[in-house]
Amino acid sequence: MDFQAYNKILLCKTPIRNVEIDGVNVGYEFQIKYPSYRGAFLSCIEELKFWVDGNAIADGDISFALNGKEFLVGELPECFKEYWYVRTPATIRVRRHGAIGPGEHSVRVYMKHRVPYTGYFGEYLVLDSDVTGTLTTEVG
Amino acid sequence: MANKIQLGVSLYSFSTEFIHETLNFEQILEKAHNMGYRGVEIVAAQMVPNYPYPTDEWLAECKALLAKYELEPVCWSAYIDMGIRSDRDLTEDEIIQFTLNDLQYAKKAGFPMVRTQHAISPAIFRKMLPYCQELGVKLTIEMHHPHHPALPVWQEYLSIMKNEGKGWLGIVPDFSIFQTMPHQLYLNQSIDFGCRPEKLDEIVKMHAQKADMALIDNGDFSEIEKHIAHEMREKFSAPAKMEQWKDIIDVTEYIHGKFYYLDNDDHDPCIPFEELLTTIRDLGYEGYIASEYEGHHFDETVDSEVQLKHFVALCTKILNS
Repeated sequence: MDFQAYNKILLCKTPIRNVEIDGVNVGYEFQIKYPSYRGAFLSCIEELKFWVDGNAIADGDISFALNGKEFLVGELPECFKEYWYVRTPATIRVRRHGAIGPGEHSVRVYMKHRVPYTGYFGEYLVLDSDVTGTLTTEVG
Repeated sequence: MANKIQLGVSLYSFSTEFIHETLNFEQILEKAHNMGYRGVEIVAAQMVPNYPYPTDEWLAECKALLAKYELEPVCWSAYIDMGIRSDRDLTEDEIIQFTLNDLQYAKKAGFPMVRTQHAISPAIFRKMLPYCQELGVKLTIEMHHPHHPALPVWQEYLSIMKNEGKGWLGIVPDFSIFQTMPHQLYLNQSIDFGCRPEKLDEIVKMHAQKADMALIDNGDFSEIEKHIAHEMREKFSAPAKMEQWKDIIDVTEYIHGKFYYLDNDDHDPCIPFEELLTTIRDLGYEGYIASEYEGHHFDETVDSEVQLKHFVALCTKILNS
């Protein structure tokens, strides 16, 4: 099963960060990278889902930030001019009321993505990258 | 026969170090230099910032870094990403634009050759010829597993390369087309995914004997074991024939020395390097063979440099035999 080792880079080990505006919490964010040896256009992402501490996050609560822009998960399949460089993390901001608590949290990322050059006989290889890791909330 | 083949390196061999950010682009070039390599290939979609629209500044810097580390730019590797869009495949105009861009980027960074993929189509491949001649950059198509020279589309490509494209349009055979057995990292991964070791041994033996797949389907195997058995059969059962080299050697501009895992300097049970390298050498090939380590698809804990050193030792021994 080619490509499987690249799933190790999907969920970045960087801390979860609460986001505040003038002391008002507007959600929290963490980072993911594209799970491949190379970059790809965002349009190759067919599905993207997140769970934090076992709870699914609704698509509408997620903002996917990359290349100085923000996208809804539902917009990604249209982003055929937005390239995700393999070493650049995307920031996943969860726009929910209330800060995420201190300490460790379980974060699961599921990405279904098409490998765009694999259509040897018409069918593209579509990969499931499903990774769960523990991230710690940034202090201060 | 005297060996005139040079071993180069595809920087893609350092995928693990690059994507886990233990080495950056310049550090990889430095490592390639320190390992004694001269000719290098870059996979643009992997290492070039802002690709597929890199800046002129970066391309000039790339050229300067190659010179700094005394490396010779050999091949700029491009893709035909047919499936970029969710609603349709790329159009002819789009494929031409991407390919023309890569030819120009390669030129700016000092590379004399672009490697593309079979999905370019014979019609578009032919249309790229005047651009290649104008820029002085060759365009080559990689022949990668599961393709081989006898496929009709490759007959057409070879005809273009041998006739109007001679000297400008060529082929890059990849050793994956000669693989017959699964490699160790694939087997280790199969066990990680739940195959029982004794069942996996049985499957590998059945693969080597080309056993009837019905014995797998109706045998005492789990779902994942059946999946692995079928994948193994699909991937490693139709290797290209060694005698086909003579049909392609005159249009072979570059070769991908693909390998997945070596635990010694002497032999690989998966790819027949002894026969491959002596055949290519004795046919008079004088270009580069890239060391192309690809085990990073399966295991990110393997040290790429150790793998490359085994590969160079193995190839050197065979080529000088």
